Amino acid sequence: MTDLLHARNDGPPPIPPGTPPILQLQGICKYFPGVIANQDVSLDIAPGEIHALLGENGAGKSTLMNVVTGIYQPDGGEIILDGYGQVFAAPQDAIRAGIGMVHQHFKLVPAFTVAENIHLGWRDTPFLASSKVLETRTRALSERFGFSVRPDAIVADLSAGEQQRVEILRVLARQARLLILDEPTAVLTPAETRDLFRALRAFRAQGNAVILISHKLDEVIDISDRISILRAGRNVGTYRTADCTAAGLATTMVGREIVRRDLRARAPGATPIAPTPVLSLRGATCRDPRGVETLRDVTLDLHGGEILGIAGVAGNGQRELTQVLTGMMPLSAGEILLDGTPAPLADPAAFARAGIGHIPEDRLRSGLAPALDITDNMALREYDRPPIGRHGLYDHTAANHLAQTIVEAAEVRVPDLATPIRNLSGGNQQRLVARREIRIASRVLVAAYPSRGLDIGAIATVLRYLTELRDQGVAVVLVSEDLEELLNVADRIGVLFHGRLMATIDAATADMETIGLLMGGRSAHNGAPHGGSTQDGGQA
Amino acid sequence: MAGTLQRQPTVTPARRLAWRAGAVVTALAITTLFLALSGRDPRLLADLVVRSTVGSRFGLEDLALFLTPLLLTGAAVTVTGRIGVWNIGAEGQFYAGAIGATAVGLFLPGPAWLVLPLMAASGIACGMGWILVPALARAYAGVNEIITTLLLNFVAGLLTTYLAVGPWHDRVTGALASTGRLPVRIPEIWGVVHWGFPIALVIVLALAWLTTRTRWGYQITIGGANEQAARYAGIPVRARILGVMLLSGGLAALAGVFEVAGTVHRLQGGLANNFGYFGIVVAVLARGSCLNVLPAALLMAFILNAGIVLQTQQLTGSTVLAITGLVLFMIAIADELAHYQPVTVRPATVGPITVGKEARP
Ligand SMILES: Nc1ncnc2c1ncn2[C@@H]1O[C@H](COP(=O)(O)OP(=O)(O)OP(=O)(O)O)[C@@H](O)[C@H]1O
Ligand SMILES: [Mg+2]
Repeated sequence: MTDLLHARNDGPPPIPPGTPPILQLQGICKYFPGVIANQDVSLDIAPGEIHALLGENGAGKSTLMNVVTGIYQPDGGEIILDGYGQVFAAPQDAIRAGIGMVHQHFKLVPAFTVAENIHLGWRDTPFLASSKVLETRTRALSERFGFSVRPDAIVADLSAGEQQRVEILRVLARQARLLILDEPTAVLTPAETRDLFRALRAFRAQGNAVILISHKLDEVIDISDRISILRAGRNVGTYRTADCTAAGLATTMVGREIVRRDLRARAPGATPIAPTPVLSLRGATCRDPRGVETLRDVTLDLHGGEILGIAGVAGNGQRELTQVLTGMMPLSAGEILLDGTPAPLADPAAFARAGIGHIPEDRLRSGLAPALDITDNMALREYDRPPIGRHGLYDHTAANHLAQTIVEAAEVRVPDLATPIRNLSGGNQQRLVARREIRIASRVLVAAYPSRGLDIGAIATVLRYLTELRDQGVAVVLVSEDLEELLNVADRIGVLFHGRLMATIDAATADMETIGLLMGGRSAHNGAPHGGSTQDGGQA
Repeated sequence: MAGTLQRQPTVTPARRLAWRAGAVVTALAITTLFLALSGRDPRLLADLVVRSTVGSRFGLEDLALFLTPLLLTGAAVTVTGRIGVWNIGAEGQFYAGAIGATAVGLFLPGPAWLVLPLMAASGIACGMGWILVPALARAYAGVNEIITTLLLNFVAGLLTTYLAVGPWHDRVTGALASTGRLPVRIPEIWGVVHWGFPIALVIVLALAWLTTRTRWGYQITIGGANEQAARYAGIPVRARILGVMLLSGGLAALAGVFEVAGTVHRLQGGLANNFGYFGIVVAVLARGSCLNVLPAALLMAFILNAGIVLQTQQLTGSTVLAITGLVLFMIAIADELAHYQPVTVRPATVGPITVGKEARP
């Protein structure tokens, strides 16, 4: 392997002209029943480049990469590796050929340790290895590739960023020369993203290549050398990043111009902010099973007709806050008031009936049943009310009808409502969940990272949904890591740090710097650390 | 590359059925081959099997008698499967049901119209009681139900033998291995086929409707597909697991009630005849659909019936198990193969292919 010491300079390495591309795709086609996922896609990936793949939700990016890594067989076209045609009958073949992929939805075994996950299904794993040996080997790998991981940690306890490092290390350990990352930064904090990019540049400097799928245009412009854009399954062009602007890319991707609106301005005739709160927390405190406080003494009021933004570094109590507000998690102290009266404790069905919708953080794991079809998934919130649920029955025709309505409202093209929902693209799943929840959110909508995994056109659409709800007099809680998004949409912004609500500030007068300081645990006035004296509160 | 095989994520029911039919035929062909190799005349045996199962009135009656318990135990295992739970204890609940029914039948004198429903109620209650502890442990403490339900089978089997040769043994004829004949019996409708058969059919149909057309059924489907999503939707997953497991215990127990009150008329060791375990086979074949329990149980009943016939021809009882295993094995292979479809890989095309009405280039 190349010595890392020679990789100080992290620009693209000088590549002699005439070097064949690492990977060449020629006319790749991939069809699913009723869907053209890829049509005639041709693409070269040169050694020493970071190649970004852009495209709207459902454009066929993940599918194309699944073809490259042998998960799917192409229905047409050729894969050429180092100048030779290749057929990957299974993912193992692609791994052996030096192609490694980190998927949009992680594929680690949650109950295993990091070291076990790294060594799982790997030919170099020593026969009869003790966990100590595996951990030592993992530590050596982690130093060699510059991805710090804790070999003995259980994967289920790790943050998304840490899990991703394990995934990448797993791929690199198998001597990948081409690393494919499917929306790697969607779940990362800005600091984790910076670390990832540093490591990717080091990887590139050794003459390896990276394919990066992302919806975040600024990041793509920051890190990539070239950009290819897929639209409706076709490659509409490959460009040098130096020649691209974010706005230009967005237009090419969507095929039309994206209009920006001032989202904080109310439409004429919008319902004004209600004087009395619809949902309130009073000293709300939660503990995790180990007894650590994950939410501390949070007091807030939600008024109909406003959007409350929640900022904070991931893992500072956002998940607990959304679960408390939607009745999924009981409080260990304090109370939650619905219209001024104490709400039933931890009864999500009662909260849903009361008109509280919830777009969950991890849609695939907690908001959907991936193996079931679209209809069953879309009925999840309304199965117990007419027209679907009457006299204890479940009306399949009515459920189909509802699913059709939601699919149309979400502007998602699906071949057939009986398709298992896991076959939809990540972004399309997210859109369907958002529309499903908006339907029942007659009073409150709690949206956790609703734009995660969406293309910029779809983000604009989802934010428009939120403002429309606000204008109808619904209270919206928007949890996001994207401060710009919060400042654009929210009326007030609350900042969470170590489970504590540091402050709630008026978005019209807020600036990024103040919020940034609060996110780091410093109060706005004196800059002194606040509430962060005990380190145990911020769980991973 | 001219053509490759490709795994499709979903399979149409018709396609799966065709593959399965092929699997059954292959399994029978292999069986025939082995019978021929061991010096038997397969044509003679096949003729005999057909005549004594579907080809004669006696055969059909026997088939129905096998089918009755299989429908119920198959349904018992299938309903728990829908919420992601494996009830391996249908055998034990079957015994519990038989014991509960026998207790009432032996010691509660009265007219049949009164005693029979009481026997059923008592049997079902015993079956539910038999699964209660595993169900509570699974629903509220996450204890794996496969082991707990399985182990209780041996307890139930031994308890039955103990009662049959011990305290309840037949004092009239002095037969040592069973209780006396029950004073009441489920009336027959057709030869030896009793009312338990149509009742079992109706129950399976009702379950098919309950699991797909009711709110309860929907909650169970979601709970089985993703427990976390079910909690998110406010579905009381624990209560549903408990309820479904109790229902399952009751169904298996009812099979025991019918067996003792309709077919055997006395409690004896080995009464369950592995019907509980064959219920698992039926459930595996039915792939979670209660409606599919009908054909799956029919196939199983046919194999069991054919096995009896083969035993009269000096083949050992293990033959049935071997044939069952072979059929299951073939079907498992067929289910997987049904996913694969050949695709023709076209070489890279110059210019776009038009998909739709336009002419192909
Ligand atoms: N296994 C499958 N069966 C049927 N259709 C599928 C399957 N996988 C993907 N599709 C369809 O193919 C299209 C492309 O999906 P893909 O996942 O490649 O999109 P994507 O570009 O990765 O989108 P996103 O940005 O939302 O992740 C979608 O319309 C999707 O519904
Ligand atoms: Mg994708």
